[in-house]
Amino acid sequence: MLSLIVQRLLIGVVTVFAVSLIIFICTQWLPGDAAEIRLGQSATEANKAALRAELGLDKPLAVQYMNWATNFLQGDLGKSLAGDRSISESIGDRYQSTVTVSVLTAAIGIPLSLFLGIMAAMFPSTLYDRILTFVSVSLVAVPDFFTATLMVLIFVFAWDAVFGFQLANVVVIGNTQDMGVFELVGHYALPIATLCFVIASQVIRMTRAAVLNVMSSPYIEMAILKGVPRKRIILRHALLNAIGPIVNVIALNLAYLVSGVVVIEVYFAYNGLATFMVQGVQQRDFILVQSIGMLFCATYVILMLIADIASIVSNPRLRHPK
Amino acid sequence: MRKLNEPNFEGLSDRDRATVVEMVKKGANRREVMAWMMAAGATAAAAGSVFGGAKEAWANTPKKGGRMVISSDQHGPADTLDPAAMTASIDYIRSRMVYNGLVRMQKDLSYAPELAEEILPNADASEWTFKLKKGVEWHNGKSFNADDVVYTMNRHLGADSKSVVNSLYEGVESWQKVNDHEVKAILKTPNADLPAILGLFQSKIIPDGQTDFSAAPGTGPFKVAEFKPGVRCVVQRNENYHEENGPYLDEIESLGIGDSVARVSALLAGDIDIMANLPPKSIEQIEQDSGTEVWSTPSSAYITFACRQDMDMSGNRDLVRAMQLLMDRERLVKGVFKGQASVGNDHPIGPAYFDHCADIPQRPMDPDQAKFHFEKSGIGNTPIPVITAEVAPGCVEMGTYLQREASKIGMNIDLKKVTTDGYWSAVWLKEAICAVSWNMRPTANIMLTLAYESKANWNETYWKSEQFDKLLVEVRSVTDAAKRKQMYCDLQTLIHEDGGSITPVYRNYVDAVRTHVKGLTYVPLNAFGGAECPQYLWRDDA
Repeated sequence: MLSLIVQRLLIGVVTVFAVSLIIFICTQWLPGDAAEIRLGQSATEANKAALRAELGLDKPLAVQYMNWATNFLQGDLGKSLAGDRSISESIGDRYQSTVTVSVLTAAIGIPLSLFLGIMAAMFPSTLYDRILTFVSVSLVAVPDFFTATLMVLIFVFAWDAVFGFQLANVVVIGNTQDMGVFELVGHYALPIATLCFVIASQVIRMTRAAVLNVMSSPYIEMAILKGVPRKRIILRHALLNAIGPIVNVIALNLAYLVSGVVVIEVYFAYNGLATFMVQGVQQRDFILVQSIGMLFCATYVILMLIADIASIVSNPRLRHPK
Repeated sequence: MRKLNEPNFEGLSDRDRATVVEMVKKGANRREVMAWMMAAGATAAAAGSVFGGAKEAWANTPKKGGRMVISSDQHGPADTLDPAAMTASIDYIRSRMVYNGLVRMQKDLSYAPELAEEILPNADASEWTFKLKKGVEWHNGKSFNADDVVYTMNRHLGADSKSVVNSLYEGVESWQKVNDHEVKAILKTPNADLPAILGLFQSKIIPDGQTDFSAAPGTGPFKVAEFKPGVRCVVQRNENYHEENGPYLDEIESLGIGDSVARVSALLAGDIDIMANLPPKSIEQIEQDSGTEVWSTPSSAYITFACRQDMDMSGNRDLVRAMQLLMDRERLVKGVFKGQASVGNDHPIGPAYFDHCADIPQRPMDPDQAKFHFEKSGIGNTPIPVITAEVAPGCVEMGTYLQREASKIGMNIDLKKVTTDGYWSAVWLKEAICAVSWNMRPTANIMLTLAYESKANWNETYWKSEQFDKLLVEVRSVTDAAKRKQMYCDLQTLIHEDGGSITPVYRNYVDAVRTHVKGLTYVPLNAFGGAECPQYLWRDDA
């Protein structure tokens, strides 16, 4: 099993390397280099040459790539083109809110949706199952900004009209330092709730489908015939076998929480990494885009790696690929 | 000069006035105030009117304390505390919290001294002496002096200056320190409007030798407590501020909420106190809500279609005239801008400018004349590409309006709506005809120099007129009022008649506030009342 894990790790490293090459080459294709963009239209050739030398842009591409990669590994992401601030510092400002929201959403949303999904698998075709399926399919189908708008309408404006106070803030602003977990949940209430809905709908459906799928296999029928209680069959026998696809969906959802929540971030006006990426693109700051792109890539690779290892551990058959 | 926010009631000495206000503050009723006044020898009628005035004065007396959240429309990694690099509303309002200028701009676009106590031009406005205020301290405790001014101003001079307004400072030869509290500007060409340039946001004074702007000290009403570009900036009251009328708030947090729907919702819900750039479609909603108010500053900011005069089709004089004649300006003001704008006359100098020329006849909507000119242009059915984007309220609507009206006279407008991102680098100054939005500038001369002088970097219509260029430079040193008025009228007429701009409206800066926000300013140069408000803001529920 250890060799399998090492193998997965190596594949992960190769993936990151390949993505870094692609990102690097793509930014080389873009018109204008860092020196030109930073100095603007009125720069003279001498100015540009001086800045190029300072930034190491006059060296061969391979050397530039090596410099960029080694700096990146050491945590030095360079300076953004727009401001004179170091990128690591700017990312530091934003990563906190992204991590807070993702972790809280995952901590609340994933156990809850696992529970709901398993319940649906335990009582298939009941009224409970039907309602849950209806709600989760609807939530998958509507875009997240619609869910967000509904949340604002219900918990802020309608709540205010009925009860005379607002249950949550429309936008997430203010400092979060020294806040406890519950304060943080209150502070980020609406984005967390919206994101919980978005990921829950997927995880519930996947859990239900995966568990039900296993339930129709012969060894479960055997257990049923033996008279094992249904609860025990699902929790002990079916769930472990179904965990592979579930973990994969969870990992993809976690990665989405880090990199894909632009709409939610913009809607609730808190500044996470995804918005930062978009701002970087808008300002043609490709150094910034490069760095955040690599961060997102690393997040995906690590989470998928964990998902792979989890399914290998939980399912002995995966340890002996044919 | 009367201070802002200061109640005005005639005929009472300062001390009596203070007593009356104090009485009202403590809850005195009309009878008590009148009794006191009459005991002091006033007639009943006078005493009665004073009570009313004092009550109003009490309601208008700024209270100290509280915090506010101010939201602009955009922010991002390029946010800066370096005045010379500022280009966005959020930067301007932040700079007003942290720094001071030598002068500050007023509602009527005259200037008031700020760090400069006295401003003395020589006879032909070619040499300016500034006597600096004494006893002003930077936030870090150092004293403000002439070296700071010379250092700041030199950053705008020279070929390798990185200042975004260096072209406006081209006429300045050098800055010299006379003594610790006096500096002198030597000009290459005389300029009677130099103080207006000093009143620009980018001309705020920074400490001598400052190169790191991650948390620069200023002399302004607030100190930086936290500055994270694209996330938030928090400033706290400078207890040691050198002026008396403010600051009142304990703390201000400023940030940008890019999405206008989210911004309006946040204001309605009370999460933020002030927002910039209220979209016209939300004006009614804000007016109807009892907790919010529209904050509209009449201005001569404008939106325009810039037609490149150096290209074949867009440079066709008859086409430009036909499009100008198609604009139903009144309807645009009412329909698109909900009345928060005024009718434009195809030149950039609107009525809010001191040098606005009211004598140029208003160009009407005239489809018949438009048709005549269009047929004369010989363009026929060829598609005319026009590009627009949501760069300012109304830019897109103006495009669809033009397209619809044009089709009625057989003009085939090929309207393309593109995204705002990259608009200024990829479309503006490049495409034949595109929508452009301009902020107002302190003087007509600055505006014309930036966008209409032949050699200007931002000459978006590529219009070249020797007569115009000559007049534009000459008028700077004219001190005779009548002559100056005539020359500015000629300049505006030249653009109105020959230029490549289709300018149907001058728009107000339309922002919105919660009703507890007091101390608003109305300087027509930018959003947030010209960004002049931070020092005067106060909460009436504080």
